[in-house]
Amino acid sequence: MATWYKCPVCRKLSREHHDLARHYLGQTNKEHKDWLKKVGLSYAELITMQVTEFGNKGYDALAEVLKKEAQEVEVDVK
Amino acid sequence: MKREYSIIGKPTGNVDGAAKTTGEAKYCFDMSLPNQLYGKHLRSPYAHARILSIDTSEAEKLQGVKAIITGKDVPGGKWGLWRRFRELCDQIALADDKVRFIGEPVACVAATTKDIAEQAIELINVEYEPLPGVFDPLEAIKDDAPLVHDDFENNINATRHIEWGNVDEGFAQADYTREDKFTCFPQAVASMEVHNSLASYDKGSKRLTVWSSTQSPYYLQLGLADALKMREGDIRVIKPHVGGGFGGKNSTMPDSTSAALLSMKTGRPVKIVFNREEEFISTEHRTGMHVALKIGLKKDGKIVARECKVITDGGAYTGLGATALYLSGIFQTFPYKIPNYRYDAFRTYTNKVWATSVRGFGATPTVYCAESQLDRAAKDLGIDPLQIRKMNVMEPGYEAPGQYKVDSCGIMPCIEKMEKRIKEKWPKVEENEGIGFSAFAYMSGGIFNWIDTPYAYSGARVQVNIDGTVDLFTQASDIGQGHNTVSVMICAEELGIGMEDIRLHPADTATTPVDLGAWGSRETLMNGNAIKMAAGQIKQKLVDLARAKLGENIAYDLVAKDKRIYLELRPERGFSYYDIVRDAIKLNDGEPLIGTGHYTPHNKGMISPAYGMGIMAIKAKVDKEIGHIEPQGVLIVHDCGQEINPLGARGQVEGSVHMGLGYCLCEDMPNDNGMLLNPSMNDYKIVRQRDMPQIELMDVPTYEAEGPFGAKEAAEATIAPTAPALANAVFAATGAEFDSNVLKPEKVLKAIRAAEAKKAQKK
Ligand SMILES: [Zn+2]
Repeated sequence: MATWYKCPVCRKLSREHHDLARHYLGQTNKEHKDWLKKVGLSYAELITMQVTEFGNKGYDALAEVLKKEAQEVEVDVK
Repeated sequence: MKREYSIIGKPTGNVDGAAKTTGEAKYCFDMSLPNQLYGKHLRSPYAHARILSIDTSEAEKLQGVKAIITGKDVPGGKWGLWRRFRELCDQIALADDKVRFIGEPVACVAATTKDIAEQAIELINVEYEPLPGVFDPLEAIKDDAPLVHDDFENNINATRHIEWGNVDEGFAQADYTREDKFTCFPQAVASMEVHNSLASYDKGSKRLTVWSSTQSPYYLQLGLADALKMREGDIRVIKPHVGGGFGGKNSTMPDSTSAALLSMKTGRPVKIVFNREEEFISTEHRTGMHVALKIGLKKDGKIVARECKVITDGGAYTGLGATALYLSGIFQTFPYKIPNYRYDAFRTYTNKVWATSVRGFGATPTVYCAESQLDRAAKDLGIDPLQIRKMNVMEPGYEAPGQYKVDSCGIMPCIEKMEKRIKEKWPKVEENEGIGFSAFAYMSGGIFNWIDTPYAYSGARVQVNIDGTVDLFTQASDIGQGHNTVSVMICAEELGIGMEDIRLHPADTATTPVDLGAWGSRETLMNGNAIKMAAGQIKQKLVDLARAKLGENIAYDLVAKDKRIYLELRPERGFSYYDIVRDAIKLNDGEPLIGTGHYTPHNKGMISPAYGMGIMAIKAKVDKEIGHIEPQGVLIVHDCGQEINPLGARGQVEGSVHMGLGYCLCEDMPNDNGMLLNPSMNDYKIVRQRDMPQIELMDVPTYEAEGPFGAKEAAEATIAPTAPALANAVFAATGAEFDSNVLKPEKVLKAIRAAEAKKAQKK
């Protein structure tokens, strides 16, 4: 068994908060955007950081929030 | 092993060459039908506006006007090429609630003459409520930006993430890293033949026939079915000769949808031809983008990591832009082994005409950035540009995890041949001259099935008649690249007959097996395989019959060659092809011999079944006083597998270099709040024939097991390396680094001054 993390909006599970952040910013629908606003993040700012600066600043910032917000799920990884 | 062929590999004039050069060949542009009407669009003067009302009453009164349609007359829904993801099918026949770019059609008139149709659109009164627009991708994603499509928050149309290896660890291991930012400007398609269609609806049978200048009759059939809410099978699309597509004729466009709707309304044939201005302001072009690129290398030049960020200016609709976004991430990694790679890309909607796949399909902009950066890194590390490429290129069997696998791969022999030839050709360079290089690779058709077709990717049917003549049916599209010739050559070689024995019936959805169309350099490999399979079935029947008649041992091989079927090791024992065909048809209950073939790639990764590749060098002279760049010569070594028609392949290379030079030097689409400022061939500058440098083309033939007779891509690959090879030549001559394409003299001078200042500072 391993601990994975669930997207707060859809059913996507990721091994790491960082991967979950990557999934999250790849979604173009309103539901994902609305949740960001709820936790006080700006999609535009995250994407701008991600595409105009080197490194993973947009994903990093969202991953920090997801560490607190994403539900942990035990997954059978056999 | 070098294989000997009768027809394959021999420089061959196009089967339709004489008709085209004498003007006999019929393009849709040339066609007309009895009782035909002429259609003309009224277009939006606003980049973004709500349509409050459309009053057509005055226009309807004009004598000669037979019908007018607006968004309310469109029965179907939205359409697009991404049928697998319906939310990305965002195109509409005529704007209904709002307009999204300047030039978007809002109404269309059918009249008895072109002049009357043009007068009539002036009489249509549209009331708009102008809305604020977005024109730059970084503005478009802002939280308070106006939305181009209400359902797409922050105007994000599509996103792509590609990653393999461990990029952060890769950079940690690097001895040298460098970061560069680029802006790549869009490029027009500028086909000689503009978009145009002729539609004829039969009210009795409720069937529609459309002749159109398209790259894919099948895609057009599907687009029309969605737009008109009809069954695919009730729509027949015929592609006559086409004067160029370059990626701009994959989407179903309003020339076809409006012509069809007006024909359905009037019961008369309707023809719509865009003029050149309409072509510029309302049809698809190459995507503009911001690119941030980071590379990490060891001291010896080995690449250990690359990271790329892209945000693109998608325009108002999707087209094939979402696929181009993906391929911009893929092709910049070719033909190198990059152990750790990360790509993040976002495509935005903006209030401009939309961007799509254009010759090079996403590769052209990012290869420009990546190959420019590689030369800068090589210079910093004190490594020769060819050496750094040799150090990093792929070998046969290379796999990029989860993405692609490369089987035939002649890149190293290509570079070795280049090294040798360049010393002979350009032994030294004078002051202000430089030689620049760029390696390249490109697909032989795409594996992606965004259109969601249940059919094979390509099909063909071969019928052999009693006199030995052959009818070859396939929907594959010759759009000027010479595929009609390649089709006939492959069929003739497989059957061992002459090209003159074959009559080709191309690109008619009512009579030919489906092919996905001419894009991504796919027709030679994909359709070639289908034709070879269909012809091969008949060849097998003829060989079996000949073997039976000869009473020979089953182990003895027979061949079909030179219009005979005979024992390979005893050529005198055999029969005339024509005699065997007659016997075979008699034994077939008097039916002509039919072979069917198809091709769909399997187990070849996500991108393509095979890759053409090579290296390009350009020698250029720079006038440091006025900033003018003069390309003096182009040297290319290309691995395109077994060439089918070397003459056609050469034409493709020359065309790609021409378009690549335009991308590098002069083709520019300046835009002011959604208004294209140069929508004419006077103001949009393409490279003229007399300014074309001499091109020397060499090949390193490999055998691609997946391709017909060993063939693979021999079409688009050489566009992407052209701009970086030329920019690298300027870099070699002057040290000037460019952060964008379109190297006009003022930009060149500025970059030269910056390079000189940097050099002085170092001292
Ligand atoms: Zn989610």
